Amino acid sequence: MSGVDGLKAAALLFVAAIFQVSIFSQARVLGGEPDILLVTLVAVALLRGSMFGAVGGFFGGLLVDTATLSKLGLTSLVLTLAGYWIGRYGETTGRDRVHAPFLSVAVTTVLYAFGVLIVLFVLGEPAPAGPMVRGLVPSIVLNLVLTAPVYWLVRRLLRPLDHGDYATEVQLLG
Amino acid sequence: MASRDRTARVAVLGTSVQRSRNERRPSRGRTAHIRRVVLLGLVLLALVLLTVSFRSPTGGALHDAQGYGASVLRPFQVAAERVARPFRDAYDYVSGLTGAKAENKKLHREVRQLRAQYVANLAAASQLAEFKALLHFEELKTFPKNFRPVNTTVISFPGTFAQQVTIAAGSSSGLRINTPVVTADGLIGRVTNVTPHTAQVTLLSDPQSSVPAVDVTHHISGLIRRGPRGTFDLDRVPKEAIVKKGDVIVTRGTVDRRLPDYYPYGIPIGTVLSASPSDIATFLTVQVTPYARFDQLDAVAALVPKK
Repeated sequence: MSGVDGLKAAALLFVAAIFQVSIFSQARVLGGEPDILLVTLVAVALLRGSMFGAVGGFFGGLLVDTATLSKLGLTSLVLTLAGYWIGRYGETTGRDRVHAPFLSVAVTTVLYAFGVLIVLFVLGEPAPAGPMVRGLVPSIVLNLVLTAPVYWLVRRLLRPLDHGDYATEVQLLG
Repeated sequence: MASRDRTARVAVLGTSVQRSRNERRPSRGRTAHIRRVVLLGLVLLALVLLTVSFRSPTGGALHDAQGYGASVLRPFQVAAERVARPFRDAYDYVSGLTGAKAENKKLHREVRQLRAQYVANLAAASQLAEFKALLHFEELKTFPKNFRPVNTTVISFPGTFAQQVTIAAGSSSGLRINTPVVTADGLIGRVTNVTPHTAQVTLLSDPQSSVPAVDVTHHISGLIRRGPRGTFDLDRVPKEAIVKKGDVIVTRGTVDRRLPDYYPYGIPIGTVLSASPSDIATFLTVQVTPYARFDQLDAVAALVPKK
């Protein structure tokens, strides 16, 4: 892992955040909306681990909150936890598994939606659970459609790490 | 305990590799510790930002910093919106073709009706001006005469949780908190947060929005709130009031000078879809179809009062 990787990840997340607020948030299908920032974050976290996931989630969320003039820290909080959790999954169980990006995106879409809902509810802000639940399945499908191209692109820019970068013990084949 | 500079033997190939000193990695325990500290730090920072942001949502140092950040991001958002526009226009064009013939017929019928109404209104308007002059009638700012439109584009769109959009004009163009925002069709909302070059508009479809409105045909006042399936409700209308399907609903404007309304009189909101009394409801149930298309917001105008 190097500073170049950090710059590449930052550039990817920046572009994803801008695209999310300006383009993807209006692409509504059956009440659901694709979240390219979340998909990109999942790809970065899976390929570069929990630290990249957490820091990327924080700054990605901060960009979204700044661009939309929303409450600062709201999206950051949920994306930081999502990025960290997926990063840990990528470092451990999800390592080398082909289905890992798809599974991660599906699970994170659900957890992210409920996470934002819970934070809004706790803060006493309007938390429309009905539209969120109705749009959840379409959102998962849309995010899964985005997963393959986004993961491919992120993997091209951020080459997967050696196993040695994750663990210090001697690895046997498999 | 074995030294970190030990020779690592790869079990399968049976070769030995000397791990150099500068490839030394922190121990697993230390890495895990750093990881947790970073996570905790970021979560705490997010909570601090959230707290400060909630305490002073439209002012203070953090809001100013957010304003500068939004100004920096604005060109990127505008560029992304321009990249997406041809695709959106192509989609709208194709989807518009499907109902074009039926819509054309309907619009021709409307034009005939409106032309007749326009002639009648013209005669009434000339009389009204004379009566006002005779009575030395004083009135507050009216729409659109006393307002200057600041035309701008939408650069971020509403999500699942917030019925808010960001527009590419801010306080440097004269926008303030509570400035009304319209499209060519009608009212869409008001400014709820403003920075020098961008502003956040809370839409009428937000659950917390309510606008004093009036039925111009039957002079019945009420409050416009979000209703079911993309419609609005005209709330607080007494059961004995007469409201009919097709009545035009506009903003009511200021009634008492001491309590000025955010919206001037006369901004079109929509038409009455249905009005029916209910045994259990205290007020008449009036559903309103909005003129503005909240799912196709593109160019909007913020109404800034003329000096």
